[in-house]
This record gives sequence, C-alpha cells and structure tokens, in this order.
Amino acid sequence: MASQPDNVSRRAFLRGSVTLIPAVGLAGGVSLTAQANEPAPNLSEYQPVFFSEDEWSFLLAACDRLIPGESAGQGPGALDTNVPVFLDRQMDAPYGHADRWYMEGPFVTDGSPDLGFQYPYTPREVYQKGIAMTQQYCKQQYGKRFEQLDGNTQDSVLQGLEANDIDFAALNGIHKLQAADFFSQLLQNTKEGYLADPIHGGNKHMAAWKMIGFPGARASYRDWVGQHDVEYPLGPVSLTGERG
Amino acid sequence: MTARYLIPLLACCTLLTASPVFADADDLVERGAYLARAGDCAACHTAPEGKPFAGGLGIESPFGTIYSTNITPDPEHGIGHYTEEQFAAALRDGKRTDGANLYPAMPYPSYANLTDEDVHALYAYFMQGVEPVATQPPETSLGFPFNQRWGITAWNWLFADQETFTPKADRNALTERGRYLVEGLGHCGSCHTPRGIAQQEKALDDGDDAYLAGADLNGWWAPSLRAGKGGDGQGIEGWDTQAIVDYLKTGRNVHATVGGEMTSVIAHSTSHLTDQDLTSIAQYLKSLPANPANESVASADEREQATRETAARLTAAKHLSDGERLYIDNCAACHFNAGEGADRVFPQLAGNSLINADDPTGLIHTILAGARPPATPTIPAQLPMPGFSWRLSNEEVATLATFVRGAWGNDAEPVTAEQVARVRASIKQAPLSRAPDPNGSLNHEDGDQ
Repeated sequence: MASQPDNVSRRAFLRGSVTLIPAVGLAGGVSLTAQANEPAPNLSEYQPVFFSEDEWSFLLAACDRLIPGESAGQGPGALDTNVPVFLDRQMDAPYGHADRWYMEGPFVTDGSPDLGFQYPYTPREVYQKGIAMTQQYCKQQYGKRFEQLDGNTQDSVLQGLEANDIDFAALNGIHKLQAADFFSQLLQNTKEGYLADPIHGGNKHMAAWKMIGFPGARASYRDWVGQHDVEYPLGPVSLTGERG
Repeated sequence: MTARYLIPLLACCTLLTASPVFADADDLVERGAYLARAGDCAACHTAPEGKPFAGGLGIESPFGTIYSTNITPDPEHGIGHYTEEQFAAALRDGKRTDGANLYPAMPYPSYANLTDEDVHALYAYFMQGVEPVATQPPETSLGFPFNQRWGITAWNWLFADQETFTPKADRNALTERGRYLVEGLGHCGSCHTPRGIAQQEKALDDGDDAYLAGADLNGWWAPSLRAGKGGDGQGIEGWDTQAIVDYLKTGRNVHATVGGEMTSVIAHSTSHLTDQDLTSIAQYLKSLPANPANESVASADEREQATRETAARLTAAKHLSDGERLYIDNCAACHFNAGEGADRVFPQLAGNSLINADDPTGLIHTILAGARPPATPTIPAQLPMPGFSWRLSNEEVATLATFVRGAWGNDAEPVTAEQVARVRASIKQAPLSRAPDPNGSLNHEDGDQ
C-alpha cells in the first residue's frame, strides 16, 4: 500500500469522479442500444483477470472441495455456478484492492477478533501469499501441487489450513499471514460467490438461489403478506432481469 | 434596535418604495413575467443550456427545422427595436417588423386572443424584465415552397381566425378565465388538438368537438383534455377539478404522473400559475364534453371486473404468461398487482391514456428510458421511474407492453419487438438508470500500489 493513504484515496476519488462524468454520457449511447443480459461464461473458457494460471488451478480445486458439485452433493457446486469467476472479478474490484479500508498500522495480529482485519495485505495479497504458501506446503508434504492431490488429501490440507495446523510462518518467515485467516477469507468469498447475484460472476443462472428457494431481486411481496400456508410459486429473478 | 423603532422605520421604507409610479411599473413587469410563464415562451425561445429567451432551439416540423428567435430586448439580435404595436402584431398576427410572416410554429393563432392589457404587460416584461442577449440564433431555412413566407398569408386567412378574447356573459367568470388561458397563452391545442391536412389545428376554440380532443405528437399520444361527461369515463374525464389542478401544479395527482413533453410544460409554466388560474383552467376543461365513447369500449363495471381478474392472477402467481411474469419482476413493486399505483407517487396503469394510446411509442419510451417528474415549487422531489433498457430485451419489452395494454381492462393492440427496436434506436437522452457496475469506480493503478 502507499505511504500516504489520504492522498491516495482522495486522488482515487477525484479520478473516479472525473471519469464518471464522461461515462454517463457514453452510457447514454451504449446501454440503450445494447441488449440486456450477456450470457454467463463457461468456466472452462474463462480467462482470469487477476489470478495467475497456477493460482487459478488451485482455486478451481479448492472451490470444488468447499462446495462440491452435483455428482458429490445434493445441489449445484461452486464450479457449476462459476464461483471462481466471481472470486477473480472480486479481486479485481475495489474490495480486492482494499480500496475503501483503513490500511495503515498498527496491525494487532494477536488481539481480539473484534478488532477486525489486521493485516497490511489487501485481499488480493492474502490470496497470492496464501495460495503460494499452501502450494509450498503440499510440495513439501506430498511432493505434488494441491490440485494434483486426491480429494481426501485436499480436504485434509484445507482442514489443516482452517485449524491453523499448517504453519505459514515456518514455511516462510517473511510475512505474518496465518493459514486460518487465508482459509476463512477463501471460504467466505466462495460462499459469497455461490449466493451473490449472478451479475457478480458467480451463482450462474441463479442455481444456488433455486436450490435454497430464494426469490432474488424481486422486491415485490406485498401481496404475499396475507397469503398463509401457500407455497411461493415463483422462481428467482436476478438484478439483470434473468428469470429462473 | 427594538421593535418599537423598527416598525416605523420599515413603514418609512415601504412608503418610499411604494410610490405609485414605481409600484405600477414593477407590477406591470411582474404581471408580464407571469403571463410569459403562462405562455411558456421560454420553452421554445430558450435553447438547452442557452440564455433565457435568446432563442436557438431547433423545432422539428414536417417541413424542416424551425429555429426559435432571440426575443430578449437586444436591439440588434433580439426585439429591442420593436414598438409595442409591432410586438402585438408578432404575438397575435404572426407578423415580423418587416411585414413578413412568422412560421406558425409560433402559436400566434392561439395568442391572437390576448387582451391589449396583457400584451401591454408582456411588452413591459420583455423590454424591462428580460436581460438583453447579443447573440444571433441560427437562421431557419426550409426548402421550397416552405421558405416562401408569403404563402403563410393564405394559411393565416384560412386557419388563424381567433379574435381578441371577450368573456361570454352567460358563462361563469372563473370558467371564462380558464378558457382565456387555455385557448390563448396556454396554447394547449398546439399539442392536444388534432391537426388537419395543412398542419393547422382543427379547431382553435371550443366551438368544435375536435378542440383538445387528443393528438399524436411524434408518436406520443397527447391525450384528450375534454374533461366533461359523455365519454367512456377514462382518462381525464375521470379526473375531478382538484386532480387537474394537482397535475398542472405538481406533475402528479391521484391518477397519473407526467411524462414526455408535458413534463417541461409543467416545470416551466403551469407549476408557476396561481391556484386560482389553475382552478379556472380545470373548470374550463371540465366544461368541455368528453369525446364520445367508442361503441366497443368496456363499461366501468367490465373494467372493474377485468382489474380484479388481472390482480387475482398476479397475486396467485401460478402458470403466469411471460408478460405477467415480466410485470411482477419489473413493475409490480411500484404499480402493484391491480395496476393502481400510489397517489401522487406511482401512476395508475389501469385506464392510463399513454398505455392505451393507439401508438405505443410513448409507453415503450417510458419503459426503456424511464421518466422523471419535474421539480415544482410545491413538490421539488423528483422520484423517477428507472429505465429498463439495460434490463429488458426488445422482445421482453414488447411482451411486457402487450401485457399492460391488455391488463386491468386496458384495451390496446399488442406491441412488437420491431416497434421496440425502433424506439430504442431513437432515444438520444442519457438513461435514468443503467446496469449496476459490480466494480464500482475501481481505479486499477491506485489499487496496485
């Protein structure tokens, strides 16, 4: 991060506002002629913007263990619903850059969890460091990369991360990232990608919403207040108007 | 300073400024300003982003673009050199100082009813109350034969037959004041009276049933303003006097919210009129018998039944058609299942004149681009309808529009995707809403630091 956070954010804000003005004018021509709803990409054809090829392979394998696919579970999995696409876009968005976070010290890593995020790393950096450490651990432990391990072994690696049993500091003393914090970030974002509106890249065709019976961005339920013991009959609708 | 001293001092000041000469002149200019509002002169004589009354707005006509002129008191580029007589001739007879005819884009056939008193006040305002602007708007140059301004003389002889207003003794004075404003300065007929073969308004006063009977304005339906009894009970016929006053004053009432060209009329003209003048306009419109109902039109009972049926289907939400589903997903949150909207906030869709118009252009435009009511002195908040152009395809808009044109007893022809595509291509304004940007205002360079 930059050493002068105030100036950075102010500059980002000003630049943002300057570029917003022509963007509105441009959108006048573009969005009215454009047809709504670009189809969701196929995961196999998606070119990640942020993650490197190696990181991407890890991510696909890890997401598939966190929310397994149709064959393994009851519903659509993280890969069926493009969750890795969500993660890639999320890391390219302000959140990934910690754009709106206070990112100066002090960083109290041994304090109460109530203190919130306490790393000098942006979420992007958490992924980069966390994936590199995990791969280093797998190489050291199994002589293979994470994605080359069988499912059960992958699960035990993930459990090792979650329980903080894998010691990142011992693997690389340079930074302070804890395995458990990397894991919780990965799990949290994977759940977000699974359940967020498809406009963000995941939850392809609202498959996760259909599974849990969430009606999506309809915001129109006044007529249901008085209908008791009636099953809600409508499938979900997405922010872009996709109907399920 | 105590109030004891303040009051006599204030009284002194008032006496000083209230000397009869000053007061009259100021009053006159102020009255002229009010009348200029009523005539909405600025609507045409002020270009977008331009100085007030400096002209230059291009008005599309079937004959070509007609540019409005500079009517500020600048002696060279404006009308500063006009005598009051010449000013009156331009206003009422469409004559320039050189004797040439104005194009009837200028509503002089309506302004012809202006009393001498009001012309005098308008003259005082344009000479003393308006800032002179020394700019020359573009010259209007229509193709032959429309560049032959002398030809308008015949047109004037045929069609511009209105005379100076004289109240009819047998009518209510308030209603007559309304007639004066509607027929004259308000020039309501310019949009709401159907035009004949020579682009003339088919009637300039209420002696003819065609007067204010509704007209097509570049695809938008400018509805009938004949608000009396005798029609199908829909549209403005179902509005009471207060609803008409509310609409003109704020752009909203219990039935409707303004859209299209009328938005600017309300913003710049009618919202600034006194309640008394608005009431007289409303009373006058209520005195005009409604257009006779079409025989095939549904009765009020039938419409009520249809409304219940549509609402019941949407509420049960089972086995919905695509149009019904699109309505629930996109519209029902504000306009509700019975299409009733909400008083002064969301317009009613059942019986809505724009939705039921033969030409669906206005409806399609509103769905695609949204609509923003004007900020008026009494209701400055502008709760807009979002545009759905980014969210709905042409096919979806067509399906949705077809549904609302047939729901709740509405009765209009289906809409095709081709019609939607044409309207989509014609919209030039920036949309009121667009696809949410999940990335917000990300700046990559800063993020990478």
